[in-house]
Amino acid sequence: MSSGQNSGGLMSSAGLVRYFDSEDRNAPTVDPKTVVAFGVLFGVLIQVLNAVA
Amino acid sequence: MSWKETAEPVLTRMPGVERPEGHVPFRRKLAWTGGILVLYFFLTNVFIYGLASGGGNDAFGQFRTILAGGQGTVLQLGIGPIVTASIVLQLLGGADLLGLNTQENPRDQALYQGLQKLLVVVMCVLTGLPMVFAGGFLPASPQLAQQLGIGLTGVRWLMFGQILVGGLLILFMDEVISKWGVGSGIGLFIIAGVSQRLIGGFFGVPGVTANPGFFYNWYTIIVGEQQLGAVLSSQGILNLLIEPGQILFLFTTVAIFAVVVYAESVRVEIPLSHARVKGARGRFPVKLIYASVLPMILVRALQANIQFLGRILNSQWAGMPAWLGTYATSGGGTAEPVGGLFYFLAPIYSYQDWMWFLGTTSNPPSMIIGRVFVDLFIMVVGGGIFAIFWVETADMGPEATAQQIQNSGMQIPGFRQSPGVIEKVLERYIPQVTVIGGALVGLLAVMANMLGTIGAVSGTGLLLTVSITYKLYEEIAEEQMMEMHPMMREVFGD
Repeated sequence: MSSGQNSGGLMSSAGLVRYFDSEDRNAPTVDPKTVVAFGVLFGVLIQVLNAVA
Repeated sequence: MSWKETAEPVLTRMPGVERPEGHVPFRRKLAWTGGILVLYFFLTNVFIYGLASGGGNDAFGQFRTILAGGQGTVLQLGIGPIVTASIVLQLLGGADLLGLNTQENPRDQALYQGLQKLLVVVMCVLTGLPMVFAGGFLPASPQLAQQLGIGLTGVRWLMFGQILVGGLLILFMDEVISKWGVGSGIGLFIIAGVSQRLIGGFFGVPGVTANPGFFYNWYTIIVGEQQLGAVLSSQGILNLLIEPGQILFLFTTVAIFAVVVYAESVRVEIPLSHARVKGARGRFPVKLIYASVLPMILVRALQANIQFLGRILNSQWAGMPAWLGTYATSGGGTAEPVGGLFYFLAPIYSYQDWMWFLGTTSNPPSMIIGRVFVDLFIMVVGGGIFAIFWVETADMGPEATAQQIQNSGMQIPGFRQSPGVIEKVLERYIPQVTVIGGALVGLLAVMANMLGTIGAVSGTGLLLTVSITYKLYEEIAEEQMMEMHPMMREVFGD
């Protein structure tokens, strides 16, 4: 069965944002590690700026 | 040419998080979920660079509990933009204006997903701009403006950049959890915020948390530092039930937990049997809370946006007519409506908003009753309407479900095997159950707010937390079953 984000049998428990299996291959993708690393670096940068100011 | 062809080049190129190839082990999923949660808590403690000391008042006001994020931090926007974008999508999808078949057509799925992202980015900008540039929500620091020589406007743009990045980070963090972790990021951020407040409400100690918690209050009562007074006098009963005894809050909190967990198990079960394999039987459950509690966020977010608009108008427009809204600044520094249209449209947040006999509100009882009725009406009717839209756009409606049952090779015993027939049977239950469930959840949320909850987490926050946690539990149980039997992965279509 390949009906979207449906992994829980027949009941689909969609969140507020829905993600489907079939994504366009044209779309640029980001590694999840990059998201986390960016978040951490961004937070630390702002903290440092706050500390300097 | 329809809008689809025009928008396709943009919508299909929205950047997203990579999808894992093959099965992600359960431990790895937990690690991703935990990691993102830690990052989220870290970011809610990073204050915006360029914010004047003093902080300003919260633009979301009392809605902060369900919209996550933190006032004055880089996560100022929280999940607000995602929820607002979702409202727009639900309304468009519910009225079938999009013309997208997200159930079968892969191209439409990609378009839907792109549209969803684009709308979130637009909403980040639309809610971020007034927060920085209008009103006293995020005051810019004059010292920094002088230091950098870019003026206050320059500092404001810097701040806007930070909350915009924060808003987009929330979107990507949600995507990481949806693809690599357990549950959804939005659900996780909501329960993280509400749980934090609940724990503060129970175990808070003065000096560490803003308000003393339930257990500390009772400690002081037992030791004798605080007096309840004679329990049979009216003042004594009030002290026991509300402050500092908080027995009423404890009762509401426990009652909401119990009602939600019970309602999760109330369902209409439609028997199914396999068309070819004799003896293979199953049931399709139509749960009382079929559309889950999530549509409730949408109603509350609508109210939050209306109140946000009211605050902007109040701060920018000196000649605002009294019928539209009169504002008074409360102890917390946040301007609250005390009269006019915005007063009646404001939901009841706590017992202080309506218990006129305590002297916590100066409005006459007739106005208070009017506001309670407006709130009840919005929540019950809105809850029902958004539940219907939700079921339609999430492909949980009779037509979509009938197709899914048909595709899995099942049929309803005693009926012909065709999606049309299954749809007819499902139509007897799904719409009715959806509306009743949505209205019931709305009613519960208003009642919980009126009676008060431990830690002032708000009725909607508590309802959301309990039902998201329940869903998370079900999902984890399913994951573990798959870990134990690799065969099960095929059954669940992984």
